[in-house]
Amino acid sequence: MSAKYVIGIDLGTTNSVLCYTLLEAERPQLELLPIPQLVATATVEPRTMLPSFLYLAAGQQAGGGALDLPWAEGRDFAVGELARRQGAEVPDRTVTAAKSWLCHSRVDRRQPILPWNAPAEVPKISPVTASQRYLEHLVAAWEAAHPDAPMAEQQVVLTVPASFDASACELTREAALAAGLPPDLVLLEEPQAAVYAWLATTGERWRRGLSVGDTLLVCDVGGGTTDLTLVGAAEEQGELVLRRIAVGNHLLVGGDNMDLALAHYVAGRFAEKGVELDPWQSVALWHSCRAAKETLLSPAGPETHNVAVLGRGRKLIGGTVSVPVDRQSVSELLVDGFFPRCRPTDRPLRQRISGFREIGLPFESDTAVTRHLAAFLQSQGESPERPARPTHVLFNGGVFKADVLRSRLLDVLGEWFGGQAAPRLLQGEHDLDHAVARGAAYYGWTKHRGGMRIRGGTARGYYVGIETAGLAVPGAPRPLRALCVVPIGMEEGSETDVPSDEIGLVVGEPAHFRFFSSSVRKNDRPGDLLSTWTPDELSETDSLEANLPPDESVDEPYVPVRFHVRITELGVLELWCVSTTSPRRWKLEFSVREEA
Amino acid sequence: MNNLFRRIGLAFRIFFRTLFNATIAEQVARIFAGGAPAATPTPVAQPKQPPAAKPPARREAITLLAALQREARLVDFVQESLAGYSDAQIGAAVRDIHRDCGVVFERLFALRPAVAEEEGAEVDIPAGFDPNRWRLTGKVAGQPPFHGRLVHPGWEATICEVPTWSGDPAAARIVAPAEVEVR
Repeated sequence: MSAKYVIGIDLGTTNSVLCYTLLEAERPQLELLPIPQLVATATVEPRTMLPSFLYLAAGQQAGGGALDLPWAEGRDFAVGELARRQGAEVPDRTVTAAKSWLCHSRVDRRQPILPWNAPAEVPKISPVTASQRYLEHLVAAWEAAHPDAPMAEQQVVLTVPASFDASACELTREAALAAGLPPDLVLLEEPQAAVYAWLATTGERWRRGLSVGDTLLVCDVGGGTTDLTLVGAAEEQGELVLRRIAVGNHLLVGGDNMDLALAHYVAGRFAEKGVELDPWQSVALWHSCRAAKETLLSPAGPETHNVAVLGRGRKLIGGTVSVPVDRQSVSELLVDGFFPRCRPTDRPLRQRISGFREIGLPFESDTAVTRHLAAFLQSQGESPERPARPTHVLFNGGVFKADVLRSRLLDVLGEWFGGQAAPRLLQGEHDLDHAVARGAAYYGWTKHRGGMRIRGGTARGYYVGIETAGLAVPGAPRPLRALCVVPIGMEEGSETDVPSDEIGLVVGEPAHFRFFSSSVRKNDRPGDLLSTWTPDELSETDSLEANLPPDESVDEPYVPVRFHVRITELGVLELWCVSTTSPRRWKLEFSVREEA
Repeated sequence: MNNLFRRIGLAFRIFFRTLFNATIAEQVARIFAGGAPAATPTPVAQPKQPPAAKPPARREAITLLAALQREARLVDFVQESLAGYSDAQIGAAVRDIHRDCGVVFERLFALRPAVAEEEGAEVDIPAGFDPNRWRLTGKVAGQPPFHGRLVHPGWEATICEVPTWSGDPAAARIVAPAEVEVR
């Protein structure tokens, strides 16, 4: 078995893309795979993007081969463009944003919970299974086009948000393997992939774009999420190298919020004219607003633009309603709403959540990308007053197709750091829709050929929660301390013992550990024990568990252990409990079950 | 008796030959339908062909029309009478239809000018030109080469990616399904 191709897959929140190249090519030709998909019932069309939506058909709708694909008959679900359209018209039966659910540790992501809040009679699937279905579609499309090169035998690079923690990565890998991707699958952070895509287009000339000491801010605003990353250029043994310095938190705000905000505003304008839109018209309005956004935001665009909703039935012209929308208001709404001018010391506004809050996706209460950016740069600087200063900016994500948003972000950065020190746009081609998949394929090729690599190790540090011993106080939980087990920047392919006191694991029943991660505590080393921290520094993720079978040879009710960590070559985090009295060891697994 | 045995034998022969020989079966069918059996055609040696690709379940033209209706409402627009609407009302609808048709055209056909020269440029048409690419108007006399002004650079579909349809043949001519909002 030898790989012929390297395949890069961007499993996006709203769109997925597959890019590939020959592994042995002298210069990689990065090709996008046309992905055949249902665009309407019984109608298949190849497109370069597969919308990450899944539609669960009601009994009759699946009949007559309506949801058949060239490689599958008798389907009762659909993935892709048809599902995206259904998402608007039949929301109860459409799974959306499965990826955002993957990293939401307050729900069990292996349980069938999607579509979220759907009526009981609708079949449901888990976020992991939904991701598996999207990947299966890509695998089938690939194998239909390349019958001589099965996906499982190729070199595959799958991208994940930089802000995914170890547990979300593990679930992504689980879905990927179930979909038939090879076991030596490599996970790559999306912003890094965007940088690789830039490297692929500039080739050896990249050194002219960045020099020693430069810091690149990758600003990736996708349909549903925003991902921020800093990459530094440094010199190592006389060579210019790139190192990923920091990643931001997973922010659930993106282009869809902008379209929705505009649609909401325009619906208000219609209401002023006495036109109430029905649900179908609201969907059509959303679509119109998505298209109108670029016209309305373009500096050369008209002062006013009519946004129309076509009549639903056959009386199309007669049923059409339209309102003039002026550029000024839209620009205020979107540019000032999502990219407001703010100070570098500002923080995202947190709304007080009162009383009961429904568990759903934790959407950001502050949609201002610039304030989230300020908070990110503060967390990576020496102090909040001295935030990290990027020298260059690389944009990614469809949102930045609008010129005005790119220039606003650059403007704001310029105001923060002063004219001379203003971060500049990284020169080169920016393919906003496909860069991540292209970069992933290029990374696979460069990994094989020994080309330029971005170093950086783990984006986060990890901590195990240890309850302190001592007298129990009735009604008060025992104080919790956090033992650092993985430092930020731990390299792939390395392992280490974690120095600590012995920890007693009870034999014969599962041992649970609370588990935390941090993307800001850079100076912690394995074995450091924290007794206080702020919520911004450490965030709790899925707990870990180990099941120790009873051991007849040992009489003790518990086994004293210490931790040992390993980051595999593929970037998988493994945490082991190693007995201090015998050669035995037990692996800790993520427990993604819902906590009681 | 003899006659009867002969007929039984014939009946069996007809049964089996009808069963296993398509030509005989067709002739027998004609007799039962009251027609005369056709003269046995001289068997032509059929070259063994791989099974032909399954014919498309419906004509691509219908699938294209369906795409333009689904994504741009073009059929609704053309089928509606413009009488009684003001230009402003028509204009409001047309902008969206125009935009969405453009998206479909680009994705399915990626239309580009058929010739590289700019509109209005002076062009020379050599001998042996392709009349499907160049249409000559005006004083066309004598033999090429011709010389003239390019009044329209034409259009060429650089791709042709009409979707494939695989539905039930009974629905092969449905351009847009009837929509019902279930309450």
